[in-house]
Amino acid sequence: MNGRVGGDLARILAERRTDPATVDVGRMGRERHARLQAEMAGQGVEVALLLHGPNVTYAAGLPGVQGVDVSYAVFERPVAVVVGGEDRPHLLAADIDPTLDVERHPAAWPELDEGAAGLAGAVGEIVGPLAGRRVAVDEQSGAMLRAGVLEGADIADASHVIGAAKLTKTDDELACIAEAQRRNEEAMAAIQHTARAGATRSEVAGAFLARLVEMGVEANLIDPIFQPMPRTVADGPRTTTDTVAFPTGVDDPTFGQGDIVWVDSGIDHLGYASDFGRTWIIGRDPNAAERRLFERWSEVMVAVLEILMPGVTGGDLCRAAAAANGGERPWLPHFYLAHGVGVESAEMPLVGTDLGPEFDDRLVMAPGMVLVLEPVIWDDGVGGYRAEEIVAVTEDGWRHLGGGHRYPPFP
Amino acid sequence: MTPTTPTDDTELRAARRDRVFDAMATVGLDVLVLARRDSVAYATGARSLWTAGSRPFGPACVLVESARSIHMLSSWDDGVPPEVPFEHLYGVTWNGAVLAGALAGIPGLPTATRIGVEAMSPGFEHMARRLAPEAGLVPADDLMRAVRALKLSAEVARIRAAVAVAQAGMEAAGAALAGGGGPTAARVAALEAAARRGVTVPTSGVAVSSVGATGTPVHVDIGLLVDGYEGGVGRTLPGADDGAPVVAAQRRLVDACRPGAAAADLRDAVATGVTRWLVRGSGMGFEPPVVSDTLGRGEVIEEGMVLSVEIELGGMRRRDLAVVGPVATEAIQPAGDPRGCNPP
Repeated sequence: MNGRVGGDLARILAERRTDPATVDVGRMGRERHARLQAEMAGQGVEVALLLHGPNVTYAAGLPGVQGVDVSYAVFERPVAVVVGGEDRPHLLAADIDPTLDVERHPAAWPELDEGAAGLAGAVGEIVGPLAGRRVAVDEQSGAMLRAGVLEGADIADASHVIGAAKLTKTDDELACIAEAQRRNEEAMAAIQHTARAGATRSEVAGAFLARLVEMGVEANLIDPIFQPMPRTVADGPRTTTDTVAFPTGVDDPTFGQGDIVWVDSGIDHLGYASDFGRTWIIGRDPNAAERRLFERWSEVMVAVLEILMPGVTGGDLCRAAAAANGGERPWLPHFYLAHGVGVESAEMPLVGTDLGPEFDDRLVMAPGMVLVLEPVIWDDGVGGYRAEEIVAVTEDGWRHLGGGHRYPPFP
Repeated sequence: MTPTTPTDDTELRAARRDRVFDAMATVGLDVLVLARRDSVAYATGARSLWTAGSRPFGPACVLVESARSIHMLSSWDDGVPPEVPFEHLYGVTWNGAVLAGALAGIPGLPTATRIGVEAMSPGFEHMARRLAPEAGLVPADDLMRAVRALKLSAEVARIRAAVAVAQAGMEAAGAALAGGGGPTAARVAALEAAARRGVTVPTSGVAVSSVGATGTPVHVDIGLLVDGYEGGVGRTLPGADDGAPVVAAQRRLVDACRPGAAAADLRDAVATGVTRWLVRGSGMGFEPPVVSDTLGRGEVIEEGMVLSVEIELGGMRRRDLAVVGPVATEAIQPAGDPRGCNPP
């Protein structure tokens, strides 16, 4: 094999990669709004009241996640209101970007009792009384519950509206994801050399975060993971699935010579997330057994990509992956073979989760869907190989989103 | 591999946990469902992977008052303190039926009559009403806020340590600017200084903005999460000297944040010419009370609060965390800092 399969994978990814495309932010917002309106009409929803950051980003174009902690994101949260049949969304926020095509309203502070009371008034001014109307909401703060903001409304789950709208992406959204991934890869390539024996995880993470700033990246979305992995499941933390624990995000280990380190990170570009995953080895090239892990991972990737096209089901992808891995499902059981990415770092379509085989068989691939493929090959005693690649389903197959970063130190 | 280790001081964890359970007992909550990382960290001491922004609402942690037991969403025991036994963990799932099954197995939840929720989604409300048909669902975000607002002395010590990391970041940013670097170099220097101290997660993060077109002075604001607690500091660099109006204005506002002060007292203490100000709680991140020109009705400053006191005057900004003592309030600043806003 010696690098052939890894080379095959890199070649077919390169063949299906397109040049970076310019994002038309205005068009992207209009197309998202149209999709939301269509889903609201189809589901009989008159008003959507959105608080969760990525949902606000989707509805109102505002990058809701600015790389801040949940406490800031929640207290200073912008709120979006989408009214069925209207041309543009309403945004309740401070310092709204003048280029956003939204109806502007003062910040709502829905976590505070005085803010929730104000929110009720603002929503009333926008749409009139809510009682008896079908209102989709993603989340209500305690203050909103106390203030009875949605008192008397026929409440629907906004995740059904948003989830359906964003299941497939527009070309502009795909360009955002591709650019986020390209930048994520570039930053990781620039700092991989800092992951050497004696370095701590936080030093390597600091180098990565600094590189993002130098590159002008708007926000980092996850404390970057550089997790030294055990060689056997028994040597790692106890898990509810009896498999290896990842990503734990706990402790600040010092890397040792020869450590296998699983890397995972995500950054933001115009509200859209990247998802970079690789396996690094500290201070040496992989040995034959480790190379074999990578070859098996590449074989699984090739097997899945060979059949990926519209009409194929998630179940088909799972079966192809397992068949390429001697019949065993090559992914972490608490996660998936593949997940979507967009305004959330993991969103539908989810393939190979504990939603079960019937769910996977009903999940039919369609143009515009995004898959982050993240198979894992584990050989207890040797360790594991894990990496991620993002593809978008097209009319006749798929294309690769990202910059073509390889898999060093693997061939 | 590093073995699983307690991630928080045992006594601090126990004290926080007792406060939460005591508060539940006081208001008659059988079960409390927490969703947010900072709340879960407060109640359990568990450390978990940091991610930016809000998460979709979900039951990340379930506390049962009668048994004083904690049940948590986690697929592994790494970062989970020993008082949460492995059998109390329910793993990550994408399947609502699997989650409902796990929650149904929590002793005390199906029979609960009052369940407190930190927030609510339509999906969770539906699930909770099926799991515990007799239970009333009540908002309990205010319970957690009241418990968290008044800091234990061990928490104040953590916050001081966190502020020291933020101040190290500020010094590094200042050195980068003094060395001829621009805003990007200042931001990089602050991030790297924090990372050298093992800190890579933000609360508000490292924000650097140029005041004018020339590149300096610049506003630098740093908010970091260190061992679960927020350290914060804001300055306009190069810094104001001790006699600068912004220093006096911040001193006056910090001094006004004394026990018993209401929002109106703080507004009265804001000097003429101040172009922006905000006083709000700090602890495991951004916390109430939030007091500004327009917010804070009904809020009263209490002993034990830690506040972020931010002010801008004459194009200069300053932000410090301040500890509200029994009679006076002290900004957390390096001892002997000639530019500090505490009384000499």
